[in-house]
Amino acid sequence: MIEIRNVSKSYDRIKAVDDVSVTIRENTVFGLIGTNGAGKSTVLRMAAGVLRPDQGEITIDGMPVFDHMEAKKNIYFIADEPYFFANSNAVDMQKYLSSVYPEFASEDFYHYLMNFGLDKKRKVNTYSKGMKKQLALICGVCSGARYLFCDETFDGLDPVMRQGIKSIFASEMERRGMTPVIASHNLRELEDICDHIGLLHKGGVLLSKDLEDMKCNVQKVQCVFKTTEDEAKVISCLDIMKNEKRGSLNVLTVRGSKAEIVAIFATVNTIFFEALPLSLEEIFISETEVVGYDIKKLILG
Amino acid sequence: MTSKNSFLVSLKENSKRRLWVWVVSAIGYMLIFPVALSMFLSNIAHRSSNLIEKFGAAAAEEILHERLIESVITQTGFSGVRIAFTAVLALVCGVQGFSWLYSRKKIDFYMGVPVKRSKRFLIIWQNGVLIYLLPRLLGVVIELLIAAGAGAVDRRVLISAAAAFGVDLCFYLSVYHMALLAVMLTGNIVITGCGFFVFCVYEWIIRDVLNSYRGLFFRYYYFGSEESPLISPFTMYYELAATFNFRNRLDVGYLAGMLAFAAAVGALAYLCYRKRPAEAAGKAMTFAVTRPVIKILLVIPFSLLAGLLIASVVDFEPKQSTDGIGYVIFGIGLVLVLGSALIQAIYEFDIKGALHRKLHIVISGLLTALIFLVFHFDLLGFDEYVPDPNQVESVAFVPQGYDETTGNVRFDEEGNYISEQTYAEKYMYLTNAEDVCRLAQKSIKDYNALMEAGMLNEDMIFDGEVSGKWSSSRILYRLKSGRKVFRQIWVNVEDQETGELLDRIIGSDEFKEGYMIGASDHLINLVNDQGSRKIAAAYGNMVYWNSMSSADAVEFLRLYQKDLAEANFSRIRENVPVGLFSISIAEEIPAGGYTGRGGYATGTRTWESAVNIYPFYEECISWLKEKGYFMDTQLALKDIDHIQIVNDNLEANEKLQKEKQQGGIQEAEDPTAEYWPGMVYTADEYIDTKVYAEYTDEQQLKEIIDSIYPFEMLSGRWDYGAERDDNIGIFVYFKTDSPMTRSYGTNASYSFLKGQVPDFVIEDTAYREK
Repeated sequence: MIEIRNVSKSYDRIKAVDDVSVTIRENTVFGLIGTNGAGKSTVLRMAAGVLRPDQGEITIDGMPVFDHMEAKKNIYFIADEPYFFANSNAVDMQKYLSSVYPEFASEDFYHYLMNFGLDKKRKVNTYSKGMKKQLALICGVCSGARYLFCDETFDGLDPVMRQGIKSIFASEMERRGMTPVIASHNLRELEDICDHIGLLHKGGVLLSKDLEDMKCNVQKVQCVFKTTEDEAKVISCLDIMKNEKRGSLNVLTVRGSKAEIVAIFATVNTIFFEALPLSLEEIFISETEVVGYDIKKLILG
Repeated sequence: MTSKNSFLVSLKENSKRRLWVWVVSAIGYMLIFPVALSMFLSNIAHRSSNLIEKFGAAAAEEILHERLIESVITQTGFSGVRIAFTAVLALVCGVQGFSWLYSRKKIDFYMGVPVKRSKRFLIIWQNGVLIYLLPRLLGVVIELLIAAGAGAVDRRVLISAAAAFGVDLCFYLSVYHMALLAVMLTGNIVITGCGFFVFCVYEWIIRDVLNSYRGLFFRYYYFGSEESPLISPFTMYYELAATFNFRNRLDVGYLAGMLAFAAAVGALAYLCYRKRPAEAAGKAMTFAVTRPVIKILLVIPFSLLAGLLIASVVDFEPKQSTDGIGYVIFGIGLVLVLGSALIQAIYEFDIKGALHRKLHIVISGLLTALIFLVFHFDLLGFDEYVPDPNQVESVAFVPQGYDETTGNVRFDEEGNYISEQTYAEKYMYLTNAEDVCRLAQKSIKDYNALMEAGMLNEDMIFDGEVSGKWSSSRILYRLKSGRKVFRQIWVNVEDQETGELLDRIIGSDEFKEGYMIGASDHLINLVNDQGSRKIAAAYGNMVYWNSMSSADAVEFLRLYQKDLAEANFSRIRENVPVGLFSISIAEEIPAGGYTGRGGYATGTRTWESAVNIYPFYEECISWLKEKGYFMDTQLALKDIDHIQIVNDNLEANEKLQKEKQQGGIQEAEDPTAEYWPGMVYTADEYIDTKVYAEYTDEQQLKEIIDSIYPFEMLSGRWDYGAERDDNIGIFVYFKTDSPMTRSYGTNASYSFLKGQVPDFVIEDTAYREK
């Protein structure tokens, strides 16, 4: 288990991460999402032991991570721009990683290389951006580390490769309890892979929940009330995150389970009523809007 | 736990990424050692092809062998070229090994993998040392094998190679660690380069600026008191190489100091590495706290340096006037502002950043102004500082060039040549601080009074145009606190009180032991223990010389020490030497002797150490007479063909010139126009008052040669005693069959002492108006 407790980090005088506390359970896929500059990469880099937090503590299986070898053996960090040695090929990388990760699975490494169609003798600097990301992922999966930190790693992968990686993740999770932690902007991709989501905004954590809980706890309701009194009554009873009115149609984003919301609507007369689950992207927009990150402001100024 | 195996694997992995540096190092040392030696050996063999013809087979073989040995020592010993390559290699290794710290991408990778930071540092550091060490070692081993093949390896070669290897390694580590420190303090390769350069030159600049300011503002600053930079590997290397080449032994203590320096810098670099935040990659400076400090520490000396340059351009002489001070201050201010702005722009990698952090400019400006004011107004009382005699442990008083001879070389107790100043600093411990302090106080006061009254300037002292006879002396006060204070003062040797003080100071045994080479046993030891040196002793009068045996030389020196006890300032000042006792020391320059330009030379070096013998050295003179070494006259009558005397009649000339000037006053527009001695005349104005006389009469010749002295014997005396008569020139023409002709040519110049010109010469050469 990874525990991030009250962690803060500043670059010069700019606060990148402010009092973040998140717990990442084992054998789940943790998605770290957030607005631009929210501190996703910083959190991952601190969790990987690259950066030292200014405040707070990060432990992996109870061990502090910074410069702690036992903890680091359980981590593999794939940065947003993965690095490979100058003029090296996949074999060189395998040799190096085998020397530092005691449980590096060399056979699996070459097996995956073949499956992904990557030439082990070809110099990595001649690979495409996507191929480099594939190689980085293969290195990470084969490192034997239990926690795989991926910073925007899925961006740039084609859908087939993404599926391939997802299936590798699934098999590794099942086989040895691997826990991928994925930071991304591409919420649609995370939606079908992540079990748990941490939402960062302006350096702090807005929420950290199981994806299913999150989806079940926020509903999108479209309805047409019969009277304004009905409308007022319902609105006063709901925890509304967002309320848009298009003519007589109310589009509400509401916190609460579907059953609770249906029960509240049942007490008034509606001409039309429909409760729909939100996509992750919609949850992200709604949650950040609540704290002032309004998409309309970005678009319309 | 780090196993040995995993460490070696990591070392190998690290080496793979430093392949090009390995290649550069290997090629470099192969060229420097075996390839260069092969070329040298081939050249020597070619140049020595005619040796057998010239010297015979046996001698030729010996000469060739010696030449080969010398060449190998040159190659394996201390070398400027090799050390330049080593310094560059150390910088490259330091920067290349840790260049991953400049890149966020690389940091994410390296810091993400399970390798302890300390282990990674050790691996890269060790690789950097091996990149130097293995090719260097291999190069020298191959070279020695080649040399052995040519029969050119002996004990000297091995000692020289081993010493150079040890010193080179310490030098490499010092420079390598300085490069590492520069990397750790910066986040960008260009800034690292600048930082490394600053490390190399900073102490030089600080010392140079401070010493130049002392020299500019302070009248009594002693320019020779500067010390070499303490924390420069280049200086350390030079010192070690010089010691080895001149004394044939390695200064192990100094080498240990160099190693300690390397270790300290390495430890500091490691500490910075441990503290270095990963986010420093790509930034100019790693640690925010160092930015203003480094900026201010750079801007201040460079601003002051700019002030010095402008002072030299505008001829700013603060000891005499404040003319030009405005330009100097403007220059300092300009460089201060521009320097601060430039550094800030570099810090931010943005030219617009130049205007940020104005507070730093203010702080730098205040500190620079404070330093300038300290010098300008001598706020620390440097210039006229004379310590309280009670605070002084001992003093070294060095009258520069006092009792000088043609052979003025001094030796320490080990027989090594040292300068007058070093000799005094090493051996003179005057306990009579009271007299020296009093002399310094009085001299400074009198000299200042003259300067402030505008009666004296620096040039006039040396031209002798002012009343009083001023001579320069250096003083080293060794304070009880352990501090050493150097000053250079001018003393008026004609002043009565000064004379009395000098009598006590120069008359003391402590002074003689610490200043006069003949007072100690150093010369006696040299004669007794000649070793590989060839020592020749002689007594003479600078024209004729009588060689002495070693036993006689030692005996004479013992008597000299007794006579010297009776000498003091006044007695020496009143006298002219009757002769010189001289020791000539010839020694072979060790093979591989460093000549200062990266080249090497061998050959014979000859020193001459001599002492004046004055008429009141009674025991010496009586012994010299008894042994037949003494010379009654400067010249032997039998060698002289004739003597020509030229009297310039300067007095008459001045008088006539003045009369001529005054005669023209009635016609001249400026009746106050003055006559200046030595002024340049046109052909029409020149009045020739020279009168020539030639003597061949034996009686007259004898009288003349009894009164004349070689020019060198009377010139440049520190005490201005026994002055020569500049009015009269003497040219002694030797007989063609005389040995003097072979030694000196057809004639030689001599001088009379003032007031000791024979009457008939004055009569014969006086100017008479036609």
